[in-house]
Amino acid sequence: MFSKTAKPVMYSAAWRISLWATLAFACGTLLVFVFLHRFVADDIQRRSDAWLSGEVEVLGDVAERTPKDALYDRVVGEVAELAGKEVPNKLLSESSSNDSVFFLQTGSDGSRQLWVGAGDGEPALKAIQAVKIVSDHPTDLHVQGFGVPFRVASIRLDDGSHIYLGLSERDELRVLRSLRLRFFLLWLLIVLFGFSIVFYTTRRMLSHVRRIGEAASGIGHSDLTARVPMTQKHDEISDLALTLNHMLDRIESSMHQLHTITDSLAHDLRSPLTAIRGKLEMSLSTLMQVEQAEPIVSAIEELDRLTDFLNKSLDVAEAKADALRLSPVALDLDELLRIMIDLYEPSMSEKGLQISLQSGGPLTIEADAALIHRMIANLFDNELKHLPPACSVTIRLGIEEDSASLILDDDGPGFDSEMLLHLFERRVRGKDSNGHGLGLAFIDAVARAHGGTVAASNRESGGARITVALPIVSKRSS
Amino acid sequence: MRLLLVEDELDIQRFLKTSLTEAGYQVETAPDGKTAERAAIDGQFDVLIVDLGLPDQDGISLILKLRQLGVRAPVLILSARRSVDDRVRGLEQGGDDYLTKPFALAELLARLRNLTKRNSSSGAEATRLRVLDLEMDLLRREATRSGQLLQLTPQEFVLLEYLCRNAGRVVTRSMILDQVWGMRIQPDTNVVDVHIYRLRGKVDGPGLQPMIRTLRGVGYVLKDR
Repeated sequence: MFSKTAKPVMYSAAWRISLWATLAFACGTLLVFVFLHRFVADDIQRRSDAWLSGEVEVLGDVAERTPKDALYDRVVGEVAELAGKEVPNKLLSESSSNDSVFFLQTGSDGSRQLWVGAGDGEPALKAIQAVKIVSDHPTDLHVQGFGVPFRVASIRLDDGSHIYLGLSERDELRVLRSLRLRFFLLWLLIVLFGFSIVFYTTRRMLSHVRRIGEAASGIGHSDLTARVPMTQKHDEISDLALTLNHMLDRIESSMHQLHTITDSLAHDLRSPLTAIRGKLEMSLSTLMQVEQAEPIVSAIEELDRLTDFLNKSLDVAEAKADALRLSPVALDLDELLRIMIDLYEPSMSEKGLQISLQSGGPLTIEADAALIHRMIANLFDNELKHLPPACSVTIRLGIEEDSASLILDDDGPGFDSEMLLHLFERRVRGKDSNGHGLGLAFIDAVARAHGGTVAASNRESGGARITVALPIVSKRSS
Repeated sequence: MRLLLVEDELDIQRFLKTSLTEAGYQVETAPDGKTAERAAIDGQFDVLIVDLGLPDQDGISLILKLRQLGVRAPVLILSARRSVDDRVRGLEQGGDDYLTKPFALAELLARLRNLTKRNSSSGAEATRLRVLDLEMDLLRREATRSGQLLQLTPQEFVLLEYLCRNAGRVVTRSMILDQVWGMRIQPDTNVVDVHIYRLRGKVDGPGLQPMIRTLRGVGYVLKDR
């Protein structure tokens, strides 16, 4: 399942997609939990407020009905203490000393009259005096000495005194805290679970896509019969594979068509050429007089030139469509160049040209031998035809990265700057060239068919340079 | 020597038959695969010429079928296709040969000779060649003309050896390129002519009878008479 490539998981699209999806999911669930929390907190608040309001009313009632005698403090205090035992949200394990509730009665002048609760009630009185507490409406109250605020409800008695009932929010907060903790753990679990599900599915999806990509890139120029793998399911991925395969079908069929056209063109032209050449040769052999032979001989030579032109045109046409057929073999360029130089040297020295090779020893590449032979012959023919006498040609053979580099330098007049731009196009030739303008186009075609390049330039020191780069391992072998 | 020519183009068939008969072959022709199959099984042929583009079937399939039927004669394949098929390469390694159209008659004849010679395997190779007063010692890599040692480069020696082995017969430029330099190319320039010209300067010295003749438009002959 996990990548066969060395690429870390962090850089995969599946990782990015899952990260973003999880982020969105986490935000969504967090929002839901926040609302839920809000709702629960409000509900708890409302319930304790209801209790407070109810209790404070009862206490007010008791305080009013109880005669203001010596027993008043005890009766009201008793009732207040009883009320403190029925606090909502109270934990059972809580210690007996009840500091979560207080009862305070103040006189009309605001002085403390009765206090039930922890301590002497002085801080609570101060806090109550500091804020204005509206009757019937419980309010938060921060009392000095206590970490958590109290919820305080008050009621005004007819004699102008006030009764305050305070309930610590400690228990309420504890409930909410434990709720938050549970929410957080649940949220974490859901997010992790969601992430792994998203990651797993996108990863699986994208591994299909990757396999399709790998298969598609493996389908080379000489191997158009291969197809990308199809998945069992009927989804977008299988649609993609199907589309790619349809496209490959079309490419293969148009390649096939091109081959059929060029082959039948070659065949249709070659058969009559063969017959004509044969007849000319036969009439040449039966001729007695030399003068009569001349037109026949030149006709045969023209025919051979025509054949060569036909071959090169079709090769260039196929190469331009990336459809040149190759049968790669191991080929030592160093050895080949030495043989070629041996072949061309007499013609060159006859013309006053010098040719030399600088090579770092054997250099074997995977290439179509016949095409490379013809390509190098073309390069040499080119020099031979266009260089003025007393020039020299230097060939350098070396390795550059994973390509064999073949550099032809001469010290002739160089290329026309105008021609330089269109050098490798068909039918381009110098003003005084007698060729058919296919030479360089053919060289370019062969290099391209092998996944290599050709570049032509004028050297700063004068003369032309043609650089051919051919991959050492053929990229296009099937 | 009996030869079966399998070729559907009548023009080519006609001139090939004439030239081959002139060259001393007993030629029988077949215009398609079916006829060729029957003819090849009935007649004892020494060599076959098969065109790849037959009307009823692929030339290669025909050759493979004939091989299965026990026809052992070597085959010269004629191809009008541009690229040489891998299957043709396979047959070439199996002892057959191929020629692309259009071809020079001289080359066709030379390849036919090679095929039949290969088949009859004429014992040990000679170490000395002799054509008129030209002698070549293949072991010592020396050549003499009228007893005079010729100063030849190794390449010129190989070229002269090839001419000697084909003395009296026409060799074309492409045959020389194929046999001496080992490549099937068609240079736009006269590279082979210059080699021959230099060789001639050494072999046909002043006062000697010229031996290397140029047949324009065709090739060269080393005279043996």
